Amino acid sequence: MNSQPIEAVLEIEKLDIYYGAFQAVKNVSFTVKAGEIFGLLGPNGAGKTSTLSAIEGLLSFQSGAITVAGFSMKEKPLYVKANIGVQLQATSFQPELTVSEIIRLYAGIYGVKMPDEKILEILKSIQLQEASSKKFGQLSGGQQQRVSLVIALIHNPRLVLLDEPTTGLDPQSRRQLWERMESMRESGHSILLTTHSMEEAEAVCDRIAIIDHGQVISVDSPQALIDKHKNDPEVISASRKGKITLEDVFIGLTGKAIRA
Amino acid sequence: MQTTIPSSSKVISSLLRADFTTQWRNRRAFILVLIVPVIILISWKGVVDKMGGAFALGSCITVGLTAIGLMGYSNSVARDRDKGVFQRLRVSPIPGWAIMASRILVQLVMILLMVTAVFIGGNYFDKITLSSSGYIMGYLTSLVGGSVYLGLGQAIVGRIKNAETVNSVSRLIYFLFIMIGMFGELGILGKEVAEISKWSPYGTVKSILFGSMQPAAWDSHTSMALLATIGYAAIFCILGIKWFRWNTR
Repeated sequence: MNSQPIEAVLEIEKLDIYYGAFQAVKNVSFTVKAGEIFGLLGPNGAGKTSTLSAIEGLLSFQSGAITVAGFSMKEKPLYVKANIGVQLQATSFQPELTVSEIIRLYAGIYGVKMPDEKILEILKSIQLQEASSKKFGQLSGGQQQRVSLVIALIHNPRLVLLDEPTTGLDPQSRRQLWERMESMRESGHSILLTTHSMEEAEAVCDRIAIIDHGQVISVDSPQALIDKHKNDPEVISASRKGKITLEDVFIGLTGKAIRA
Repeated sequence: MQTTIPSSSKVISSLLRADFTTQWRNRRAFILVLIVPVIILISWKGVVDKMGGAFALGSCITVGLTAIGLMGYSNSVARDRDKGVFQRLRVSPIPGWAIMASRILVQLVMILLMVTAVFIGGNYFDKITLSSSGYIMGYLTSLVGGSVYLGLGQAIVGRIKNAETVNSVSRLIYFLFIMIGMFGELGILGKEVAEISKWSPYGTVKSILFGSMQPAAWDSHTSMALLATIGYAAIFCILGIKWFRWNTR
């Protein structure tokens, strides 16, 4: 049990992750503060998903420390998991279960009381009241994504992990998700977000960590990152329109080569 | 803000509810698993007297157990792993064993239902009746025999990551077990195959089912078959747990 107010909801200290002999994450450290949207940006294979998987408890790490809401992942993994809400990249619920059944299942897993009226209220809030008896497999991609977000928030977690949440969404759904993320921040949730969209990172993130080859290269607010690196020769050469953008900084820091 | 972890019993009951609902929604596949042993039983109507009621019931239950473990269980686990269902559950505050315990409990209930269908079918179509201890022991040994095939299903899904390959391989093994088991024990494929068949998972499970439903027929061979069945179950379960990965990456 932990009832102390904590400034940093997530603390990652000197994290190392290996796949056999290959080191995917090298000495990564950063913190996510309460009520902050923190973006983790990096090219494919940079170590974002490995870092996120370690925070989610899906991947064991060899050294370093992960602390969520004051609980250590090594010592109290279930307490860490009880304090995080996760939206994974892939479809991740049984397609035969209805939306209401999925909400009821996860409410039971997190120990949240969920009478029928509350389920309807939740579904109304994501404009899916008509779909309560629809099977998850029958929903559109955008609807599935909304259900997934509702499940991530069902237990009112301190930290929400969103793994490329807007991939494959249309502009309307994407904009709606950004608004949802901002309202989550206003209600005190911290968000750790991975994305390939620089537009998204600039639009919603308070701070960003750029990660490449398993190491954090730079951490700051989007504007501060631009200001800090706008005179780097690699960043200037990456610029396409004269004005330096976050994408130019990202390309300048991580290189132009396409990753696997 | 306090952090509470729900009790294991509450978590398991939520998982069971969802897993039974999923099984119910996939009932067509399960009805087929129920129907095949009963159809075999009906087709043997004329020869049940010669082969004996307990032998006929044991053979049909063995076919059903093989189908549940090799096709029903392994395919549902492979599909859910492929879709990331397990990964979503694993990021929740539940221990990994609870996720699998719920899945296995559902399969054990399916085994009991299948055995009940075979007993009813045997009584209705072939007038086969057993003593009450025969019925009780029949249910118990079905659970022991079922664990061999659930373990084998787990080992297959542990060794093979692709859900479609799991489907093909489990069907092939099912077919081989039934064909070699049935024809092998009749001696059609030669004496050596008959001996192998007798001590194969198919043969030992069938022997203990036959022996348990007709306690007077329980002999040293049945006892050895029981030991072999428990051994098979242990080996397959250990391999299944060792090889199993929660994701396909």
